[in-house]
Amino acid sequence: MTTPNSRRSFIRKLGAGASAAVAAVASGKPVSAMADPAQRAAMLEEELKLRSLHQRFEQALDKGLHDEVIGMFADDARVVFNGGIFIGREHGVSRLYRDRFAAGKTGGRMEAAPGFELGADQQRDRVEVSPDCKTAQAEFPYSIQVGVPFETESSLAAMARLHGEGVRTWWEGGLYRLNYRRDAAGNWQISRLEYDTLSRADWRTGKRYAQPIEVVRFTAGYPQDVHGPDALA
Amino acid sequence: MAMRIPMHRFAYTKLTRDQIGTRLKAVEGTGPKSASAFSNVLGGKSLKIVTRDGPTLEYRFAANRKLTLTEGGRQSTAGYGELTLNDIVFFSHLIPGEQKGYNIYVDQKTNLATVFEVWLSSGIRQGRAPNEYTLDDREVQRQIYFGYVDTGKPAPAKLHDYTNRMTGKGIHWKQDNGIETVELYESIANTYFVELTRHADDLGFVSTSDYVLADDRTIIYNRTECEFSGIHTTFVCDLYGVKQAGARFGFNEKDELEYYLFRGDGNVVGQIAYLENFDDHGVRPMFAPAAPAPVASAAKGARYSYRPVRTFTHMTDEEMQKAADARTAAFGVPVGTSNGPAAPAPAAAPGGAPLPPQSTGNNLPFSDILVGRNFTLRYDHGGPVRDYRVKSKTRLEYRDHRDNKWRETEYRAYEGDDNLAWFAHILEDTSPRACTMVALDLTNGLVTSIESHMGTPWYGNETTYRPVFGVCEMEGLAAPMYVRHELTDELVGHCFSWSYSDQTTSMHVYGSPHSMSWVIFTGAQQMGAAWCSPCIFVKLRPGVYIFCQNEEACNGNQMTELLNTKASHDCGFTFNGSARGCNLGVTGAIGRHIGHFDINRFYGPMRRA
Repeated sequence: MTTPNSRRSFIRKLGAGASAAVAAVASGKPVSAMADPAQRAAMLEEELKLRSLHQRFEQALDKGLHDEVIGMFADDARVVFNGGIFIGREHGVSRLYRDRFAAGKTGGRMEAAPGFELGADQQRDRVEVSPDCKTAQAEFPYSIQVGVPFETESSLAAMARLHGEGVRTWWEGGLYRLNYRRDAAGNWQISRLEYDTLSRADWRTGKRYAQPIEVVRFTAGYPQDVHGPDALA
Repeated sequence: MAMRIPMHRFAYTKLTRDQIGTRLKAVEGTGPKSASAFSNVLGGKSLKIVTRDGPTLEYRFAANRKLTLTEGGRQSTAGYGELTLNDIVFFSHLIPGEQKGYNIYVDQKTNLATVFEVWLSSGIRQGRAPNEYTLDDREVQRQIYFGYVDTGKPAPAKLHDYTNRMTGKGIHWKQDNGIETVELYESIANTYFVELTRHADDLGFVSTSDYVLADDRTIIYNRTECEFSGIHTTFVCDLYGVKQAGARFGFNEKDELEYYLFRGDGNVVGQIAYLENFDDHGVRPMFAPAAPAPVASAAKGARYSYRPVRTFTHMTDEEMQKAADARTAAFGVPVGTSNGPAAPAPAAAPGGAPLPPQSTGNNLPFSDILVGRNFTLRYDHGGPVRDYRVKSKTRLEYRDHRDNKWRETEYRAYEGDDNLAWFAHILEDTSPRACTMVALDLTNGLVTSIESHMGTPWYGNETTYRPVFGVCEMEGLAAPMYVRHELTDELVGHCFSWSYSDQTTSMHVYGSPHSMSWVIFTGAQQMGAAWCSPCIFVKLRPGVYIFCQNEEACNGNQMTELLNTKASHDCGFTFNGSARGCNLGVTGAIGRHIGHFDINRFYGPMRRA
């Protein structure tokens, strides 16, 4: 049986090594088929920058550095998460990461729950840079912990909060669908991020088995839900 | 005279900084007292104690139990007391005028030292707006430093450290001054203790604690009664000889300053399992959690302490009744109409929350054991008499003989043991709002009700409960004349973990006949946060009990469970009130027997004869 470790490792290697060859421009023409070697080199260079940006994004999420994460988004960025759209770096995106993700211990990397690894047809890892190198699209797999604080006012929840817990967590796997664009200084920023969740399981590291779970999509927006989205998807 | 004030209800004097300073002044020069003779291995010597991340303390000990301390260039002279236990020499002193002092343990063999800085009038603020509060000046604070005696040789690589070796152990101690205590070290951050010579009702209390490993037989310990009197107790314990030597420092319930050293002899009364991984040795204390918490790990004096009453909203009886009249619900169904409103769909979980709701995830299924039955429950000694006609799995009719009026209401029932019904319903039109939780043995006709209502002498939004015993009159059932269910102490000393869902587990420590503690686990399955409440136990059958507690001076919630120790399962009901109304709910859990302390022999009226 393929272990989660080897599967994830394979995905990363596939992405790093093969993407340059298969990356496509917005017109559909592969980078390798482009006539201008300088343009090809420029696009590949930007692709590497975007991969580096995504690596920093995942690392910051993993460490709970939410302000660093927020700083990677464009002013008018949108994040689609669990049926909600969080709009604007200083508003919706900040609310999502600084409030909701922090309170729910969400975003840290987790190996896929056993039996829930992404299938071969779901293993997307691609970056498409536009010919003018001003915009880009990308897909990367994710495998993260997601959670929500216990809503109860019970003493057990209050006590758990005192030792930094009181959060119901689970595992989610899927694809990050990303749009990037350059800011005025020429730095890449995330203009749109969609969490395309493909699988969820009631699993934590160390547990020997996992079961699928369902999660309620957002049904109310901010400010009715103080950590909720600006709009429903 | 022993205290007989209910748990966490003592109105402690808010001693001011000046009042505390005046009382301390009387002992700063003399040092602590001791019923046992002081030892004298330090007299005439000098010690330089270097601590990691803490102060360097340079001591000169005179022959007359006086010492001179140089700390950070400042010099002070004070009285001190000293006791030895095996290789450990323990000494304690105050620093005049500073409302602080040191309790220091030095291992004369290894030269390693554990230093407790203790102080009063801390001014520490805790909680979050709008529930921020300042700790009482009388609450002793502590900061622990690990270090060594500087002998001119290279600093040792390994110092004393925190430990989980005491976790789950229980010891009965008798001190040289007559104080007798059952101490259950139920968590890495707390102690559950019953001071037998202090409280008339043998109530157990939880206090924040630290545990330090000096060597494989030697533990250094402290506890502070943060929400009790604020007093601080520390000692070194030799687990081979089961002996202790330490100090008590702080103000008791009579506002008297206690500052004395003590020796004690103990007996280990049990060791329950502790469930963290075998390679987890507890070196990370719980006041430094992995995730952000209200108590910052870096803050001096940081420690875990649950202080629920600080944020518990007070409601009067009238306010509670008004809220209950506006909304009383049983099992999610509004109460108040007698024609049985259809049960609404369960409230949808908020966006982002998993389905299904987890609060009752491990409960037993509801039973139809009573459906179609008509019976009368007659409780003893003028207790209530109620007739029942059970229409369905969720609806019944009852008539209380006090007003002889039939009412239809929502109920839920379990079959908690073979042919043993366990059901509950709201007593409608009651003021204060009340409910009954009934164990009905359909084999022998015995019945027990936990009669509950909103309100205590302290809070309108706390519950009060009492057990009433009686019989069931039903065709085909011949109830006994004299035999009844009865209160029991059979569970005293036992510990069970109860998993209400895969996310919520609490260990119950049934520490005395009238009180218990609950402990929750950290993510690493370490026994962590703990608190306590009064409780009662009723024996229904061998291995089958009712356990009832109200989280007094906490959140006022009542939980009443039928414990089936044969099946290691419980099932039951919750009853509580708030500004949102009054609610009767369900709860239940899968249990694991974590262990047993042999402590029942310390309790009961015969022991006081």
